[in-house]
Amino acid sequence: MRYLSASKLVVVLALFLLQGLAFAQDFPAAPNPPRLVNDFTGTLSADEVNQLEQKLLAYSDSTSTQVSIVLLGSVGVYEISDYAFQLGEQWGIGGKGKDNGILILAAMNDRKVFIATGRGMEGVVPDALAKRIVNNLILPNFKTEAYYLGLDEATTMIFKLASGEYKADEVMSDGEDNPILGILFLLFFIFIFVVLPIIKNRKDNNNHMGGKGGGIDFWTTLLLANALGGSGRGSGGSFGDSSSGGSSFGGFGGGSFGGGGAGGSW
Amino acid sequence: MKKILIPVGILLVLGILIYSKAVGTYNQFVQLEEGINGEWAEVQTQYQRRTDLIPNLVSTVKGYAEFEQETLTGVVEARSKATSVQIDPTNLTPEKLAEFQQAQDQLSGALSRLLVTVEKYPDLKANQNFLELQAQLEGTENRIAVARRNFNESVKGYNSTLRVFPNNLFAGWYGFVAKGYFEAVAGADKAPSVQF
Repeated sequence: MRYLSASKLVVVLALFLLQGLAFAQDFPAAPNPPRLVNDFTGTLSADEVNQLEQKLLAYSDSTSTQVSIVLLGSVGVYEISDYAFQLGEQWGIGGKGKDNGILILAAMNDRKVFIATGRGMEGVVPDALAKRIVNNLILPNFKTEAYYLGLDEATTMIFKLASGEYKADEVMSDGEDNPILGILFLLFFIFIFVVLPIIKNRKDNNNHMGGKGGGIDFWTTLLLANALGGSGRGSGGSFGDSSSGGSSFGGFGGGSFGGGGAGGSW
Repeated sequence: MKKILIPVGILLVLGILIYSKAVGTYNQFVQLEEGINGEWAEVQTQYQRRTDLIPNLVSTVKGYAEFEQETLTGVVEARSKATSVQIDPTNLTPEKLAEFQQAQDQLSGALSRLLVTVEKYPDLKANQNFLELQAQLEGTENRIAVARRNFNESVKGYNSTLRVFPNNLFAGWYGFVAKGYFEAVAGADKAPSVQF
């Protein structure tokens, strides 16, 4: 009974606190299906949104750094910086633990913009540089209503600054333990498709050796093709992905924001 | 003999139950308190960062001789006052925290006055060194805000755990006391109207 009453009290208290804060309606829910570019205002054309999405997606795929763009009407009484940090934190832009997310937030009616850098990105995009990106690339373009151009140039500059800081987990080209993993997989497949059939075939003599042999070739080919494809993607991945145009974003990773970044108004 | 065994058994079971509950609660308090200590360290780091930026700012601004000396001395004085108020993380009482916040907010005020007067000096505003310092200072203020919010959230979790029944009894026995919050900045209580 004691446990029950205590836990009930905690629940009631938590509900009470949540109600008082009323956070929920101030921040849009994370997009579903997940997208890196979210224009709630209709400022950008569908084509422009798609182009930015593919550009950011290709970068996220090849480096794991998630750069997200959000355009909304107004941030109300919030400081735009504060709103950006809380939104980035709630959506979890960037990888968990790496915190390599960047949020470019623009409040169109407030005419304010802010680049919030995740904790892991503060080193490569320090506040002073974020400020310069805002002042030199975003604001002049936004003043002339060239919103797409401003965002395009800003993201390109961020990519330049951030390139080489983080590598995607999936890209197996330069990891030290990855060859070992590959060899283990190879041994595993050899065991399953070569050793086991041989043992099995020893017992009942001349069975379908031909059929099994075909199996070996198929699996080995697949494996080799995978290995080659994986290493080949390492360097030129971004170009290949952006031209394909059909891939979709897998979702935000749970990155955290500690207050890095800079902003301005146009 | 058997008649004695039953009450003894019940007492034993009750004793074990209370003991395990007491230990669990104590450990929970300790974990929450450690969380707060971590957040507090972050708050102090960011305030320290701001304190470290100020000498650079002052010397950059000083180069422009016509600059008002009053505003500068105001910043320097507020800085030395803010650094004199230090809190031990084990003693984060509401009173202590309010004192700390007051000293730091005074420095914030002096700094923003300085940045406002700077608007009158186009040469200074065009100075690259000053612009970088200004960006760093703004970034530090942002980090302070985030660190303070995280700290407040940790304290909220700790305080609400501490005050519910039966934890309040245990807290009294162990000597855990409620901790202070950073007060919201004036104007933060207005109803927000966000448009997506």
